[in-house]
Amino acid sequence: MTKKTLIAAALGALIIAPLANAAPLTIEVENIGTEAGTIRLGVFDEAGYKSDEAVNGANITVDAAKVSVTIEGLAPGEYGIKLYHDVDDNGDMNTNPFGMPTEPFAFSNNAKGRFGPASWSEAKFSVTEEGAVQVISLK
Amino acid sequence: MSLSRRHFLTRSAAGTAVIGLGLSLPTAFAASPDMPDWHRGYTTAPAGGFDPAPMRLVYGKAPAGLEGTLYRNGPAQFLYGQGDYASHWFDGDGMIQKIAIADGKATHSGRFADTVKRRIELEEQRFSAPGFGTAGDPSFPVSSPDDVNAANTSVIVIDGELYALWESGSAIAMDAETLETKGPKAWRSDLAGMPFLAHPKREPDGTVWNLAISGPRAGVYQIAADGALKTFGLLDIGKAAYIHDWAMTDRHLIIMVQPWINESMRPPIVDGFEWRPEDGFKFLIVDKDDFSNRRWAQGPARAFYHTGAACEEADGTIRLDAALYREPVLGVGGGADEIRGVWTGRDESAASNLTQIVIPPSGDARLIETGIDGEFPQVDPRRHGLQRRLTAVVSGHVTSRPGNTALSVHDWSSGRTDSFDFGDSRMVEEFLFVAKPGGVAEEDSWLIGPVLNLKTGTSDLCVFDAGHVSEGPVCIWRGDRAWPLGFHGTWS
Repeated sequence: MTKKTLIAAALGALIIAPLANAAPLTIEVENIGTEAGTIRLGVFDEAGYKSDEAVNGANITVDAAKVSVTIEGLAPGEYGIKLYHDVDDNGDMNTNPFGMPTEPFAFSNNAKGRFGPASWSEAKFSVTEEGAVQVISLK
Repeated sequence: MSLSRRHFLTRSAAGTAVIGLGLSLPTAFAASPDMPDWHRGYTTAPAGGFDPAPMRLVYGKAPAGLEGTLYRNGPAQFLYGQGDYASHWFDGDGMIQKIAIADGKATHSGRFADTVKRRIELEEQRFSAPGFGTAGDPSFPVSSPDDVNAANTSVIVIDGELYALWESGSAIAMDAETLETKGPKAWRSDLAGMPFLAHPKREPDGTVWNLAISGPRAGVYQIAADGALKTFGLLDIGKAAYIHDWAMTDRHLIIMVQPWINESMRPPIVDGFEWRPEDGFKFLIVDKDDFSNRRWAQGPARAFYHTGAACEEADGTIRLDAALYREPVLGVGGGADEIRGVWTGRDESAASNLTQIVIPPSGDARLIETGIDGEFPQVDPRRHGLQRRLTAVVSGHVTSRPGNTALSVHDWSSGRTDSFDFGDSRMVEEFLFVAKPGGVAEEDSWLIGPVLNLKTGTSDLCVFDAGHVSEGPVCIWRGDRAWPLGFHGTWS
């Protein structure tokens, strides 16, 4: 594929994007320990997952032990979710003096990290044209 | 090659001779290697722990006024199934042993600390968590240091709360009566998940100080006698040195930066250490009231795990005692052999040397070496950080197995060492000073600790008079069971 055809393909994708945008991603967050603050989440594609640049996201006010949000307009494809519970609503993920998070966090597929964030390969999931549902536990 | 009786028994158990005799043995027994008697100290404890059981007074007379509880902690899970041994002694799950003494009677109980690591591994019936000497399974989830917290190194009681201590994760709160696990302790919400070393220091007024270590950074906790965090501060200690213990006077913290460096801290942690004797042994001396008021001193390169305590003279000279090594020592066969029942002999170069480190107000530190090959140094808690004379250590060894056989008390003022050697058939654990009611002198203390009795197959609780150790125990309580050798304890 030449560079020109790549660009053309990308433009084509943009033009047809509205047709494929019907894919809703519903994210349910459960086992929330403190009914206060905000769940802050980002939805990432593979490149963004590593560089922490989200393609979409949401802030969910926490008023129950289980909350949810539906994100519309994602192109079908593979995504990963990173989220944390901003319990004190200060807009940041709090850490202890050695940099370890002190607020609950989780990843799509309930993937767990090993001395760091969960890997893309474990956190990725598919959003089809019918959409997708992710149930993520903060336990 | 000559086959010892042990080899023969091992082979028999493996099948050949036994099958030849037509016997049918349960699988678990048939697959078990024939372990030497001392392996009892490294044998996995029952998963459900030890229910409270009385210990019998088998020697002497219970001292009047001796009332309280000895809590101890140590690894107690070494094996899953037939052959999945822990990779390192230090990575076995912690079990708290409790020996309550009241009305002249002693009662023993024990419970594992119910940690994330233990829950996952128990369910899988295998060792999978990364650790000090363990690479771990890549599938083991680690979201926080407390996911791999073995809670297996020491204990402290603060205002009636019992904590099982490790060194790279939180203190784990436990019920002091039932030994039920409550969970990781956050001394303040923003300190959740911070490490809490296994060697907190308590001032005579009950104030507890401790460190959190992460590479070249140290956090300092000051906890009031009522358990409330008073202050928390951060210090740069310059290097990612292995810091298991430290020292404290009434006025200063002494952070002992040995030249045993780990800059990767990737599991197995032990593989990342480098011994750099050319860096020397450095001491960061920090004013307890003003962390910005600090100075460095240095001395000859030594490795260490444990200190006794420090004190300070009028001119600012600091004296502290510690069990020092010429170079790092990591247990038998790198900490892996003893839990498999393997003993390849004692490496004399691995001897410790009970040493007083003298740090003058300016200039280099010097070492006063006693030549005593002892460990687990302990002092009278009424004098922690203050002038004192006595340090108790476990000492003595036999060539045929790991562990210590004797208890020694060294008097720094006279240079005299008073010892009692139990002989070949005992494995001696850490002994703690317990003040006699109404007494004020250091000698007005009992020394209390467990001794694994290889003849009877029991753990015996022994009590000595601190001023007359060589006269032997004042009394011995014996249960009907042994529990694994532990590391450190506390008296409450």
